Amino acid sequence: MMKLVRLFGRLTLWKLVLGLLLIAGAYAAAVRFTQGLGAATNLSDAYPWGLWIGFDVLVGVGVAAGGFVIAATVHVFHMERYAAIARPALLTAFLGYLMVILAVLFDLGRPTRIWHPLVFWNPRSVMFLIGWCEMLYAIVLALEFSPLLFEKLGWTRPLRAVRKLMGPLVILGVILSVTHQSSLGSLYVIAPDKLHPLWYSGMLPVLFLVSAVAAGLAMTMFESCMSSRAFGRRLEGDLLRGLARAVVVVQAVYLVLRANDLLYRGALHYAFEATPEAVLFWGEIGLGSALPMVLLASRRVRYSNSGLFFAATLTVMGFIVHRLNVAVTGMAGWTGASYFPSVLEMTVTVSLVALGVALFGLAGRWLPVFPPAREERVPAWMIRRRPAAGGPFLTRPALFGLWVMVAVGAVGVAATGGLPALGGGRDAAEVAVAAAGGEESPRPVSADGELTLPPPWLFPAGEESPGPVRFDHRDHVDAGELGCRRCHPGLFLFTRSGAPAEGEIDADRAHDGDLCAACHDGETAFNTYDDCTLCHVDSDD
Amino acid sequence: MTRGLLIDLARCRGCGSCVTACREINRLPLDAPAERLDARTWTFLDHRAGLTVKRQCMHCLDPACASVCPVGAMHRSPDGPVVYDETLCMGCRYCMIACPFGVPRYEWDSREPRVRKCILCWEQRVRNGEKPACAAVCPAGAIAFGERQDLVDRARQRLRERPDDYVDHIYGLREAGGTSVLYLSPVPFAALGFPRVQEDRRYPGMTWAILEKMPAGWTVSGALLVGLWWLTGRREVMARVERGELSVDEAMQLAPPLAGGAGREEE
Ligand code: HEC
Ligand code: HEC
Ligand code: HEC
Repeated sequence: MMKLVRLFGRLTLWKLVLGLLLIAGAYAAAVRFTQGLGAATNLSDAYPWGLWIGFDVLVGVGVAAGGFVIAATVHVFHMERYAAIARPALLTAFLGYLMVILAVLFDLGRPTRIWHPLVFWNPRSVMFLIGWCEMLYAIVLALEFSPLLFEKLGWTRPLRAVRKLMGPLVILGVILSVTHQSSLGSLYVIAPDKLHPLWYSGMLPVLFLVSAVAAGLAMTMFESCMSSRAFGRRLEGDLLRGLARAVVVVQAVYLVLRANDLLYRGALHYAFEATPEAVLFWGEIGLGSALPMVLLASRRVRYSNSGLFFAATLTVMGFIVHRLNVAVTGMAGWTGASYFPSVLEMTVTVSLVALGVALFGLAGRWLPVFPPAREERVPAWMIRRRPAAGGPFLTRPALFGLWVMVAVGAVGVAATGGLPALGGGRDAAEVAVAAAGGEESPRPVSADGELTLPPPWLFPAGEESPGPVRFDHRDHVDAGELGCRRCHPGLFLFTRSGAPAEGEIDADRAHDGDLCAACHDGETAFNTYDDCTLCHVDSDD
Repeated sequence: MTRGLLIDLARCRGCGSCVTACREINRLPLDAPAERLDARTWTFLDHRAGLTVKRQCMHCLDPACASVCPVGAMHRSPDGPVVYDETLCMGCRYCMIACPFGVPRYEWDSREPRVRKCILCWEQRVRNGEKPACAAVCPAGAIAFGERQDLVDRARQRLRERPDDYVDHIYGLREAGGTSVLYLSPVPFAALGFPRVQEDRRYPGMTWAILEKMPAGWTVSGALLVGLWWLTGRREVMARVERGELSVDEAMQLAPPLAGGAGREEE
């Protein structure tokens, strides 16, 4: 018991909730892996990808982008003061990828074959590239992360070796990250007809990369705020303000790219139509990109802990909505079906997040994730009202803002529920054309529509047979009413000549009650015993 | 050597023999309802605008499903049919996202699920020089099997000889850069629910245009990052020397490119 307490700390409400979520997740995993995807999820042929790809993978990889951006800032660009938040960012990224890998295992139809892309190659596939990049990047991340373990264990030799290699390692990590962050967007480049024009673009790889950088930075801010509270640490205010400025720049770039792209493709008008898509688009762009950008551009917000936290949360939420829009909502118009994740899917997603949070907490306790406190650079005018250690960021305005976000999200979800109406609209158009062209006009059958029936068939005659049996389709099929179904496939198979649907062709069955005699019983057609020669051609009697 | 089908909707009499024959040859349940494509229905007759429309895989000349498959489980056989190797597939279902016609289906209820779609009887018949089952049984001559070029010529001839019976369009000639399955219809294709896809554009080319540039991107960005790393690291060391934190000798030992990496984190 004492040991447990030492490992996890005292039991708090939060830990209890996390524990319960993990248990629920274990149950969901059991259902998923014993009953299959169909039983566990609401995925369907219309929606082969749902919450697990849309949220766990697309969002998980995206918010982990903080890891490579901060690592590059510190180790490639030598902006060393950011080293203070590099490790937590790295940890977030590491756990993000862990979540992604687990989610992929849940989502794959044959999870035991996850290694196949390593052996069976198809370099034309974006997915192949992503698979390789993510695997290699997971290794790079583990190496970037390894100093924490070595420090904890006091292994100086490998520690020094890894540190020497840090620069090249981080450069490799950046290249891999940029490749697969953008490639997640490229995935959808091949679906120009399916993805709604508000989201489809040949620029998707660039848009995915830029938005992931913004979200990754915002996630780092979010995570700093959270861990400052959880671990009772002072907020690295000056660093977060630096990140905030970067988010402003990246978001501005993103918005310009997005607007340009919509204009260039002539798709802007879709944003002003009264559709659920337009609502979600504005939610994503307005509340998730533009609003936090404007907020963070203001110095007052940047210097308020709750302001930073709120804007970072908005950015991450906007990012989530964007990815879900691409993965789910944007497809609704084409498929004409609707999708809402099953309870089990949501359980898995939530418990994967809970797992990440729990592991973060454990790592924060047991590994040197957080560097010793250091002097913060505070401008002179701030000194009088310097925020207290671990200052409150969940203040009333921030909470209020979050509730507004949740409400907007709920409206968005309700709107998605209304999406099938869209598909209906498309069908209506088709019906209109059909009414104009087809329905009333007589069935167009061209004059040379001669029937090409199989040639007459001689059953291989048995030994005692009075003669081979001849079957001619022309005696049985009336050009006006084909009625192939009377015999196929119930009595005879199409694809194996002369084979009845079940068993061998058997004289007793052919003469009595089944096969030919199903009809040749004296009622539907002449009786088998009336005239042997009608069937047994060339027979003597 | 590309073989395919020409499906003439004006000739189809809707008897459904093709649907049954398909199920027979692929050992799919014969009595399941055939109202849409699903894992157990690889072709069905769609009743639209007074016609019966045989739906099935289009067998693209450059199939999106094959290009996106990370393990190469989908591929186009040299004869034209797009076939599937279930021993490779890991079930990512990207093919279902990528197919512009929305054809591949999944065995959601299975614990060892496979992607299912028409393979143009490649394994059972076409490989041995026979017609696909649907083409073999069609009594109305609505499904012709043959060399794609011959089929195109035949379709053009029908359009020429009986312009009043058809709309002047061969669906599949240019759709998605061309498909091995071609359709003729007396009614506009849009009214029959045929998806509108890009013409004369091969889908795999869309992502390949991006993938193609990757190696160049890696080289350039790699060089750029190494350069920046070296430069900023050097500047950092110089600044420390100036601040008197390092002697010149020590700085020489830390000389770039490892200058930045070695000195920093000990603090
Ligand atoms: C409706 C068509 C039909 C008629 C009429 C018919 N048969 Fe047959 N008969 C068949 C079929 C089909 C078979 C099985 C195929 C075969 O063995 O040739 C068969 C098989 C047989 C066999 C068994 C051959 C063997 O080796 O098992 C005998 C004997 C036979 N018929 C006798 C007769 C006699 C005698 C009559 C007239 C009273 C008759 N059949 C009328 C369709 C017919
Ligand atoms: C009265 C029953 C009956 C009806 C109705 C019928 N068939 Fe058949 N069919 C048979 C029998 C018996 C055979 C097996 C003998 C054979 O292979 O020719 C057969 C075989 C076939 C074959 C296989 C030919 C070969 O060479 O392998 C095809 C194709 C076929 N039928 C198509 C049709 C079509 C299309 C229709 C509707 C227009 C139809 N059949 C209606 C009884 C029927
Ligand atoms: C679905 C019902 C059905 C089945 C099954 C069926 N027939 Fe018939 N057959 C008919 C009908 C109806 C006719 C035409 C009416 C009549 O002559 O009584 C006919 C006619 C024929 C004729 C032509 C007789 C003539 O007038 O020259 C032959 C031969 C024949 N059948 C053979 C067979 C054989 C052999 C089989 C089994 C392989 C078979 N039929 C199975 C319904 C059937």
